[in-house]
Amino acid sequence: MTRIVVDPVTRIEGHLRIEATLDGGTITDAISSGTMWRGLEVILKGRDPREAWAFTERICGVCTTVHALASVRCVENALGITVPQNADLIRNIMFLTQMVQDHVVHFYHLHAMDWIDVPAALLANPSSAAALQRSISPTWPNSSSIYFATVQATLKKFVDSGQLGIFQNAYWGHPAYRLPAEANLLAFAHYLEALQWQKEIVKIHASFGGKNPHPNYLVGGMPCSFATATTTSSSTTLTIAKLTELRTIVQNAIDLVQGMYIPDLLLIAGKYPDWRYFGGGLGNFMAYGDVPQNGINNPGQFRFPQGVVLNRNLRSTSPLNLADSAQIREGVGHSWYVYPEGITDLHPYDGLTQPRYDGPAPPYSNLDGNNKYSWVKAPRWRGIPMEVGPLARVVVGYASRRQEFRDVVGRALGYLHWDVSSLFSTIGRTLARGLETSLCAQWLIAELDKLIANVSAGVTATANTALWDPSTWPKTPVKGFGFTEAPRGALGHWIQIADGKIANYQIVVPSTWNASPKDGRGQRGAYESALMGTRMMTADQPLEILRTIHSFDPCLACATHVMTPDGRTLAEVKVV
Amino acid sequence: MSSIDRAPVLVLGVGNILLGDDGAGVHLVKQMPRLSADWNGTVELLEGGTQGLALLGDIAGRSALVLLDAAALGAVPGTVHVRRDGEVLELSHRGCTAHEGNAGELLAVAGLLGELPQCIMMVGIEPLRLETGIGLSEPVQQAIPAALEAARQVVDEALLYLRHSGSHA
Repeated sequence: MTRIVVDPVTRIEGHLRIEATLDGGTITDAISSGTMWRGLEVILKGRDPREAWAFTERICGVCTTVHALASVRCVENALGITVPQNADLIRNIMFLTQMVQDHVVHFYHLHAMDWIDVPAALLANPSSAAALQRSISPTWPNSSSIYFATVQATLKKFVDSGQLGIFQNAYWGHPAYRLPAEANLLAFAHYLEALQWQKEIVKIHASFGGKNPHPNYLVGGMPCSFATATTTSSSTTLTIAKLTELRTIVQNAIDLVQGMYIPDLLLIAGKYPDWRYFGGGLGNFMAYGDVPQNGINNPGQFRFPQGVVLNRNLRSTSPLNLADSAQIREGVGHSWYVYPEGITDLHPYDGLTQPRYDGPAPPYSNLDGNNKYSWVKAPRWRGIPMEVGPLARVVVGYASRRQEFRDVVGRALGYLHWDVSSLFSTIGRTLARGLETSLCAQWLIAELDKLIANVSAGVTATANTALWDPSTWPKTPVKGFGFTEAPRGALGHWIQIADGKIANYQIVVPSTWNASPKDGRGQRGAYESALMGTRMMTADQPLEILRTIHSFDPCLACATHVMTPDGRTLAEVKVV
Repeated sequence: MSSIDRAPVLVLGVGNILLGDDGAGVHLVKQMPRLSADWNGTVELLEGGTQGLALLGDIAGRSALVLLDAAALGAVPGTVHVRRDGEVLELSHRGCTAHEGNAGELLAVAGLLGELPQCIMMVGIEPLRLETGIGLSEPVQQAIPAALEAARQVVDEALLYLRHSGSHA
């Protein structure tokens, strides 16, 4: 038996430690430990509920929009505020923009390195890369030999400088890399193109959010105004001309997803067909859903449907209720927190965040999976561990019999000649992220067009301020929940308001579900479960572990952000 | 929306204000405007927070970048660090891979895309406390005036550099 420690897992947000037990090259046990404590809830108590979004959007750099969205929604839910249709449309546009931008960046910048061997791109023949490009995506403009030769020269200069920088913590040359050299070069070229492109798409956030990079939100709507024929335009108002300009950015996003991201994804998946048998994990999926078409209180009309799928059963979904205290509950059986005597789990309305560390004194070599071992709590739905994220959303969409989900899944799997059960795997999760990106990009233009139509027709209201003043709020304490789908999965905020102030605030982030440690009954979380049975080629180069963990796009939030002199962010991989 | 007309010097405050001293750079950039009267459109101030690659578009096309950050270099808390060009990149190369939202990684990627400003400066304050909580520790709070003065100096230095190098300032 061999014990592997990967700490920290690199190319993620925040700090995650994985310990895996290997027996004959196969993982037979794994624990996932969040090694930093994030106590944002403590900061929010006693504050004005209308300001909570501004604090929550700073939890981390990746999830700005989604935390603000969940936050304003939980206050609106508590106070019974409904928002005008334009507010939902603008929120949908912000949400979908974030989803498309984040998924493309995750794929090329963080996850692709698990499948492409970047230095090996130097060995490619640029003409072969050009031929490959034309074969997988004939319409993509950058497909000449000269283009790929230029990209290769850029990479060579970078490698020759001796500063691998962003590429230094990888296992280049690992035998589990299997792409031909020209595919590595093609993927590296697209990595650069994706970075260039994402500079454009974030302008959508800046346009609606008023300021970049921390967009403004508002309880009751969105803080945007539109210039129409009867109003005067100023630098802060949005015009039809401006909205039409944004349409071009969205069209570019659709082109990039269809012409570059999806073909690359299918190319890579086709070279790693064995990965459709590994990394499936729990097989239980949960999505809160989002992109409301008729208000947030009508989940039946969300573009991303809400529901739970159990045991990989694609024929039906179970309904979900975030307010029902019997459904979502968080336990701390293996987490470094304490609950009052006799209580094993709590609904987020009554959630407690009382840290008590009783693990080994750092630096330690191993954590004990039989005791408490993580700062992440263990949320469960009706006592069952759940996976959330792109695969959960696609599976819930598929099981909800939504044709557009079935179409994108069917086309991709048909191309690969894979069965639908291939979704339940590491590569299936990575595929699902791309497939939902293509849906999001299409929805983005549809939502933008609806907004343009409203504004053109003179419908310009963006906020309902009737209940803005706390003197209009109920005199008795109230509670509410707000939710969205972060790129990484279901995100929920729960609030209690008393005397106009926040009495309790609990956030259950997607990575709390996925990075969950075991619960009090010993059931593993999603990462832990997905690692079971993985075969590894070399224990001291845990590329296979990274592939599966990165397929979830972990975000352990609150990345401390300081520059350190000692290089301590280098992954420590220990085999003991 | 276009990058024509953008100020040649960007002062970017980064860090997480929910993690105590980690937010030093953000606190600094918020206090910069009272210094900026005589910079006359050549300097833009931006609160970058914990955003990483989303800031790529903001730093592209600049001649100079002044980064304000917390810098844990092992000095006494509250020490003001000033680093220039290669020294900034050197720091960023070391700490750039574990976290997506990292200023160092942002610089590395900008370098790869050939969009790194010619002149890069960093003013950092050595942190004391990086735990969850709003507000700066006593030594970091006390270092703010000195750090602002250092920031003003490096901005002036950047402007001087731009005039001499014939850039559009």
